[in-house]
Amino acid sequence: MNRLLTYLFRTALAAILAFITLPLVVVVAASFSPTSAVTFLPSEWTLQWYAALWDSRWLDPFLLSVELAVIVSLASGLLGVLGAYSVAYAKCPGHTAIMALLLSPMSVPQIVKGVAVVLFLSSIGLYDLLGTPGLVMAHIILTLPYVVRMAATAMFGFDKRLDRAARILGASVTQRIRYVLLPLIRSGLFSGMTFAFIISFNNIPLSVFLVRPGQTTLPITVINHLEYSLDPVLAAVNVASLLFILGAIILFEKIGGFSAQFHGGSK
Amino acid sequence: MTTIDIELLSVSKQFGANRIVDDISLAIPKGKFVSILGPSGCGKTTTLNMIAGFEAPSSGQIRIRGRDQEGVPPEARKIGLVFQNYALFPHMTVAQNVGFGLKMQGRPREEIADGVSRALKSVHLEGFEDRYPKELSGGQQQRVAVARAIAPSPSVLLLDEPLSNLDLKLREAMRVELKEIQEDLGMTFIYVTHDQEEAMAMSDRIIVMQGGVVAQEGAPADIYGSPRTSFVADFIGKSNILPASAEPGADRNLKVSLGAGKAVLTAARGDDVAPDNVRFCCIRPEAVRLAEAAGALDEPANRLTGTVQKVVNLGAYIEAWMLVDGGITLKSMIRSTRLEKLSAGCRVDLAIAHSAVQLLEQ
Ligand SMILES: Nc1ncnc2c1ncn2[C@@H]1O[C@H](COP(=O)(O)OP(=O)(O)OP(=O)(O)O)[C@@H](O)[C@H]1O
Ligand SMILES: [Mg+2]
Repeated sequence: MNRLLTYLFRTALAAILAFITLPLVVVVAASFSPTSAVTFLPSEWTLQWYAALWDSRWLDPFLLSVELAVIVSLASGLLGVLGAYSVAYAKCPGHTAIMALLLSPMSVPQIVKGVAVVLFLSSIGLYDLLGTPGLVMAHIILTLPYVVRMAATAMFGFDKRLDRAARILGASVTQRIRYVLLPLIRSGLFSGMTFAFIISFNNIPLSVFLVRPGQTTLPITVINHLEYSLDPVLAAVNVASLLFILGAIILFEKIGGFSAQFHGGSK
Repeated sequence: MTTIDIELLSVSKQFGANRIVDDISLAIPKGKFVSILGPSGCGKTTTLNMIAGFEAPSSGQIRIRGRDQEGVPPEARKIGLVFQNYALFPHMTVAQNVGFGLKMQGRPREEIADGVSRALKSVHLEGFEDRYPKELSGGQQQRVAVARAIAPSPSVLLLDEPLSNLDLKLREAMRVELKEIQEDLGMTFIYVTHDQEEAMAMSDRIIVMQGGVVAQEGAPADIYGSPRTSFVADFIGKSNILPASAEPGADRNLKVSLGAGKAVLTAARGDDVAPDNVRFCCIRPEAVRLAEAAGALDEPANRLTGTVQKVVNLGAYIEAWMLVDGGITLKSMIRSTRLEKLSAGCRVDLAIAHSAVQLLEQ
């Protein structure tokens, strides 16, 4: 009976994994196909589409997306820690209301947020901010709730007696944050920042309102390209971004160690 | 002359409408081991937290090394604190934990390393520098917590039930060690516990707390030998506590009536209690002796006969409940060499020294 359950469980797991990864396999295969039609299992293999990526047409949007994702994840990380600290840790007056406010962008559709940012910027006459500055702002609004949520969860789990212990040993508030609080919430913070990075890098619905000619993110460039042709260069773009994001996750993981077995638990 | 390290002047603490600590005044002499002893919820931790600066007193003053501490945050008080759950930093090695205080003071690297190895040496934990707390046993974590607190050499160390998470054997070993550490360093220890044996074993002075006030303060032997209230008598050690009244008797002694006058004992007159105020009488079980025992009748004593009701063998001692004349039951502690003489139902002659009959007002 037990064995049957284990067997069923494993089959289900394999099915889910296949369901998630098979489309990727198709895309990867297509990116090596010499014909411009997307085919599964091409008879010949070529790297020509990857070579085509080395062109400012793709490189510029890629660099903009990277710049955006880096700025957005760092800024969300910083703001997220400050927000989570005052809300979840220091429990400032009205902390539940502030928490709700910080998380509220999550419940607004991205299209609505995009329109709202454009309308806001133009109504206060800062139309010039469309493009990179607007993208940065909008992406921060989009990703901040994730970082706040993760950092706050980590801070709720933080044993405040550790703060007292550090305090009686003479640590000032900045020393306590630096040496005790931050290292202990680091994994939560970094997983939040990883989310922010990926969400920003892949975003379409919000970016579409804010890009300008010459300042276009990679996903938007892909969408634009898609309007005219469906050729394997798109598959190559997707595979390249996939690899890039994997690399970014590994890097964040190296610094933040959010999945590593943590040297922890005083009990 | 003794200097006073920590002084509480009429300190009270109120949480909402509840007065948790009520007008406590204490003077803790430098270099002494002082225990704050009391049942759960009597305000021990609250008192400690006020000394450490985590809670501000609602009224009264706390002085450390002669200075009023109002408005001084914990990080500036230069005292050590050992937490009940140890509160070790899980992401730091033993050495980093122990060196934390010195590092926060901005000491140079060599000095920190020096302080760490000295502190680890005094808790007998050399060689554990690179372990993480979760790789240590409870007793070892306890030692790290003590080492971390003493490494910056505070003049006072506060300990909040530091041994309560350890098993009995380890607890008894750690008592001895803590006392040795305290004597070696000459540090003032304020030790909070609800375990009277622990307090008796280690302290130079014991402060017994009850419901937010100090019930009695003194050397362990004084508190054990002459408890001032029935609460203290009951809390410290075992005792027979009986409602009683007293009147002056012969030879400057007092006549004590127990059990509504059915039994009368003679008590040596103490100076502190007026006969009219006597409400209770306390007799320690080891003072209820067999009359034939050597030395039992060396000093003036009450003689009683009784019937053994129940005997419990505790190894070195036996505990026996005796029903004596007047229908009163007394608990007695007797060396177990006399075990063969005692079994339920047999008659015994008992002796209770006049001086062992203690009179209490409340
Ligand atoms: N921050 C607080 N707010 C309200 N009540 C509190 C607070 N801290 C403590 N108390 C109350 O004060 C009383 C004394 O608490 P305290 O922790 O000082 O007791 P204790 O003597 O240390 O007991 P224990 O031996 O169980 O640790 C308890 O009834 C507790 O509920
Ligand atoms: Mg307590």
